[in-house]
Amino acid sequence: MNRLNKLFASKNNNLLSIYFTAGYPALNTTVDIAEALEKAGADFLEIGFPYSDPVADGPTIQHSSEVALENGMSLKVLFEELAELRSRVSIPILLMGYFNPIAQYGIERFCKKAAEVGVDGIIVPDLPIYEYENMYSSYFIDNGLSNIFLVTPQTSEERIRKIDDLSSSFIYLLSSSTITGYNLKLSDSVEDYYKRITAMKLNNPTVIGFGITDSSSFAKACNYANGAIIGSRFVKLLGEDGYIDKIDGFVKGIRP
Amino acid sequence: MKIKVCGLKHPENIEAVTALQPDYVGFIFYGKSPRYMAGLPVGALKTIPASIRKTGVFVNESAENIEKLIAEYGFDAIQLHGDESPEFCAKFKGKVTVIKAFGLNENFDFEQLKDYANNIDLFLFDTKTKEYGGSGKTFDWAILDQYKLDIPFFLSGGIGPENIAEVKNITHPQFYGVDLNSRFEIEPGLKNIEKLKDAFNIVKNKTQMKYGVNEQGYYGDFGGAYIPEMLYPNVEELRQQYLNIINDEGFKAEFDDLLKNYVGRPSPLYHAKRYSEKYGANIFFKREDLNHTGSHKINNAIGQILLAKRLGKKRIIAETGAGQHGVATATVCALMGIECVVYMGEIDMARQAPNVSRMKMLGAKVIPATSGSKTLKDATNEALRDWIGNPVDTHYIIGSVVGPYPYPDMVARFQSIISAETKKQLVEHTGSELPQYVLACVGGGSNAMGMFYHFLDDESVKLVAVEAAGKGVNSGESAATTALGNEGVLHGSRTILMQTEDGQVVEPYSISAGLDYPGIGPQHAHLFKSHRGEYVSITDDEALQAGLLCCQLEGIIPAIETAHALAQLEKMKFEANDNVVICISGRGDKDLDTYIKYFNY
Ligand SMILES: Cc1ncc(COP(=O)(O)O)c(C=O)c1O
Repeated sequence: MNRLNKLFASKNNNLLSIYFTAGYPALNTTVDIAEALEKAGADFLEIGFPYSDPVADGPTIQHSSEVALENGMSLKVLFEELAELRSRVSIPILLMGYFNPIAQYGIERFCKKAAEVGVDGIIVPDLPIYEYENMYSSYFIDNGLSNIFLVTPQTSEERIRKIDDLSSSFIYLLSSSTITGYNLKLSDSVEDYYKRITAMKLNNPTVIGFGITDSSSFAKACNYANGAIIGSRFVKLLGEDGYIDKIDGFVKGIRP
Repeated sequence: MKIKVCGLKHPENIEAVTALQPDYVGFIFYGKSPRYMAGLPVGALKTIPASIRKTGVFVNESAENIEKLIAEYGFDAIQLHGDESPEFCAKFKGKVTVIKAFGLNENFDFEQLKDYANNIDLFLFDTKTKEYGGSGKTFDWAILDQYKLDIPFFLSGGIGPENIAEVKNITHPQFYGVDLNSRFEIEPGLKNIEKLKDAFNIVKNKTQMKYGVNEQGYYGDFGGAYIPEMLYPNVEELRQQYLNIINDEGFKAEFDDLLKNYVGRPSPLYHAKRYSEKYGANIFFKREDLNHTGSHKINNAIGQILLAKRLGKKRIIAETGAGQHGVATATVCALMGIECVVYMGEIDMARQAPNVSRMKMLGAKVIPATSGSKTLKDATNEALRDWIGNPVDTHYIIGSVVGPYPYPDMVARFQSIISAETKKQLVEHTGSELPQYVLACVGGGSNAMGMFYHFLDDESVKLVAVEAAGKGVNSGESAATTALGNEGVLHGSRTILMQTEDGQVVEPYSISAGLDYPGIGPQHAHLFKSHRGEYVSITDDEALQAGLLCCQLEGIIPAIETAHALAQLEKMKFEANDNVVICISGRGDKDLDTYIKYFNY
């Protein structure tokens, strides 16, 4: 059982996860930020590795990726920074990023290295189910890594079942079909969608992401899922001066 | 079309047949048949891959025996060839695929099939004989028109090497596949693998498959649909619908009509005499520049707008590099009265300003892409982001043979009109439909794929694809993808792209906005890797000189993209009788500014 499974086994509501882009605003900040987030009370983290063409991201994360790349961030550099991760941080960690940098690094090597530095799960938005299942799943499984799939309001029930079968820690629900960085609008249809998912009684817990920005959208999301993820709003904070000292207040502001 | 091979009984022969990957294999449990599989060990079926459905064929066998044999041999399907009643069939429905066979002749009463409709999965129509099938004779396939139920059927009876191609003309909507048996044998029960292989190739269009797309959307190692879940429903809808829609007679009629009367097709195949003299071969120009809107891009835009209409879409988005695809899309949207949004890199908007104005005049909204290199790749990113946010009512008209499956195949099909016409026109000019060479420039690769498409299987025809070298392949400012790139994923497909060793996409450079793209379509990646095509590159300077030469020798001002293909002629050696076709993908009006500045006119 990896750290993610343990977390979900011990706590199943109001889980707070934070996303940030490695290498932003500067190199050698990844573990500092992760440590500060753990101290502030975050339950698990997603560390993004940057890509030049992040099609699923809005302006905030696009910008953080650009800066991170200019700073020289890469998977190689990230794994170097993460060497000291597990001496300082104990909450579950996921890596999130696009497929091409992983493919160039080598998928098998990537999975091995991730496991070695103590990563628990991977989110690759543009790695499709078919390719995952038929070509790559063994690398994830052999290294004890959970692969996290996304589900949107347009995902069919049949496909959600399939995703549930392939998942081993949680399923990432998108509040709507959107790129990152837009506010969650809790319209009737979104509510219907969450209810539909709840009624499916999936094997895996669910966490809602994209568009969660503050305590009220966080609380709303937690009505329907085991927790929620904040990304762009936190990445904005990292662009401010003295961000490290603001992390505690940020996290407590989301989940008082 | 599915293929069933029936009447197997020798273990080694079974292995050889299954290696051909039929969809069904059949084993006959009927003592009077010369193909009776008595004594075949259960183990002989164990190695058959799960993708092939093992079918037990029975004639008036008892239900208990059938059940026993299903359990013993692991049959996935049963074929009932005797006088089994609907009730009898119903016993097996849901447990295995139930196929009910009937012998047909001109007096066959199709009414009797009605009672079976709910109790079986497939019919099999054989030739009526005194015995139960196995006659090796055909029946008159025209009577199939009388079959109106919605249960699919296998066609059986006398299908052999000499008539296998004809079955491909059967257009019955429920025609499911062919059953191959006695006409492909060395002796009863022993199949002739070579004959089967040829038949499979004909039925499955295997030669086309060599360079074409497979069911998973791959061309060899390339293709697929590497897209975030947010795009999955949009792309999946297309994948499920595109072939049905574009093969529909109504669609074809509308597409052909617009190509003829709106675009002005067929575009001429012009024998360029002064070029021919200069290069010592028969040089032909396929004049896509004469199309309405001035390039080949309109072929695809027309196809996709008709498709979008049939999908009930209310809004169109597109990316554009040179602006030719943007103009083509804005044009078809005006024609159909549909809202149109075009994403264009900020740099491209400056260097192709006349096209920006054209799009606006046509009623489109042009949104600058300001991220990354501010060119075509970034415009594509922005269009994909828009599509993520508008998953239901919007269709994305991708302008080249790039993107997630099915786009590369769909766009190639719409552009394939270029080579279809060329073949016919070449016969008139030269007496043969095959030239020695075809050439085209490659940005994403749509004009090139359209130019290559119907020559892919004619391996004597050399396919030459010309990329943009920019200021030189090794100058650091280039868009020569195959020279500089390696395998990876870009814009939803596995292909060849220019990237750093960390997998970051490299910003390309070419003077020609339409070729300024760091990838190529996955089918091109496959043609490159399999050496079916030759991929070369031409610098800015070489292209501009070639563009001017074309103006002065032939009175045609080509697009700078096209000029890259023309420049390649300088580097080739021809025999006097060689026939060479170059795709003149577009006209140079949009590039006058660049030409004028370069040559100081
Ligand atoms: C005239 C012309 N030729 C060629 C291209 C390159 O596109 P493709 O490689 O898809 O044919 C363009 C693209 O804008 C174009 O406008």
